[in-house]
Amino acid sequence: MALAIVSSLLLTIDVNSRLLQPMRSVLATIVSPIYIIAESPYQVSREARATLSTRESLTAENAKLEQRNLELSTVAQQFVALREENTRLRQLLGSRRRLGAEVLVAELIGVVPSPNTYQVEIDKGAEDGVFIGQAVIDAEGLFGQVVEVARFSSRVMLVIDAAHAVPVQVNRNDFRSIAAGTGRTDRLELEYVPVTADIRVGDLLVTSGLGGHFPRGYPVGEVTAVVVDPTMTYAQVTAKPSAALDRSRHVLLVYYAKTEPPKQDEPAPAEPAAEDPK
Amino acid sequence: MNPTRGGWVILLTIVLAMLLAVVHLPADAPVWLGWLRPSWLVLVVFYWVMALPQRFGMISAWITGLLVDALYADPLGVNGFCLAALTYVTWSFYERFRMYSVAQQGVVVFLLVLGTEIVRMCAQWLSRDGTLSFWVFVPAVASTVAWPLVATVLRRVRLQFSVE
Repeated sequence: MALAIVSSLLLTIDVNSRLLQPMRSVLATIVSPIYIIAESPYQVSREARATLSTRESLTAENAKLEQRNLELSTVAQQFVALREENTRLRQLLGSRRRLGAEVLVAELIGVVPSPNTYQVEIDKGAEDGVFIGQAVIDAEGLFGQVVEVARFSSRVMLVIDAAHAVPVQVNRNDFRSIAAGTGRTDRLELEYVPVTADIRVGDLLVTSGLGGHFPRGYPVGEVTAVVVDPTMTYAQVTAKPSAALDRSRHVLLVYYAKTEPPKQDEPAPAEPAAEDPK
Repeated sequence: MNPTRGGWVILLTIVLAMLLAVVHLPADAPVWLGWLRPSWLVLVVFYWVMALPQRFGMISAWITGLLVDALYADPLGVNGFCLAALTYVTWSFYERFRMYSVAQQGVVVFLLVLGTEIVRMCAQWLSRDGTLSFWVFVPAVASTVAWPLVATVLRRVRLQFSVE
């Protein structure tokens, strides 16, 4: 009876506030070895495959990577030039240069085994400076955000979780919206898109940096369907997440919010622009 | 005779149950397989409470439940409540449950797992945008199917290490 009362009390506090976060991280630190052990067979098999891989396959992989490297360095050359140009133009506008984001590589050590929630366990925790709300990306795009930090591990909610939402903008025309998870692996939904909005299939959605949680400009998804029903207030827009949510083994934790809050970033370009035509 | 023999065996089986609860399938396995996972912890806790009610009480069940909350990323207290309630029910009827055949115990397991899964689903539904669905029957069925195996293994373990 007493336990039932304590349980419901805990439940209420936990659902409605963040007060129990310290307790949660202590418990999570206790159970995180279980995730590591559960993951170990996969870890061992990967190690074994890496050790036993043949010379041919390594050569083939090497060739492929070299090609990829070449492609990327071509893009990178342009990127350097564009960045310089962008910096110059920004200086002309009088706004501050954006700081580059610092990243920390983390490895997935487990998947939360509940079919309704999409969360993963990673091997970096409070000791490495991970904080709640930190954005997590992988090689392809936005992966999710940190929802729970234990000492040596933490938990990341994926962008497709039904409880997740991220402010985005369409890369083509900066149209702003919110991309919410649907609880399905290949689908995001844009919320509150007016039927008149200029949004098309194939548009790239990137993080807008509004709201302060996520750094600006990381790809979130690609619009796959736009259903406009004139009788409805909002258009139904669905998108496919860019990140390799079910394949990535390594993710990057972005240190951004602590270095430069995007909130200050937004009004900055507006003011100097107004003064500009003198 | 030492009345607290083999406590580590109980602890070990619970840790093993937690391990089984989080082991994930290969990445290319279909999603619905995830639903077929029996509630190992409920099975193990049920067995120990039934077999040794004086050893596994409601407080231990509740603490186990808290750890499970952290493990599953459920709202804190849900699994504690479920496991403590389960312990209470089992504790009240353990003499009767012991007399049951494995099949009859399976029916009890079905109802208990169904109860805990429904409580979990409701808690998730309250705390975020979880959905209510009939899928909760699947873990209950899977647990019932797994029960004879779990009961046999744990019985052997209990006798082997003479846990009392």
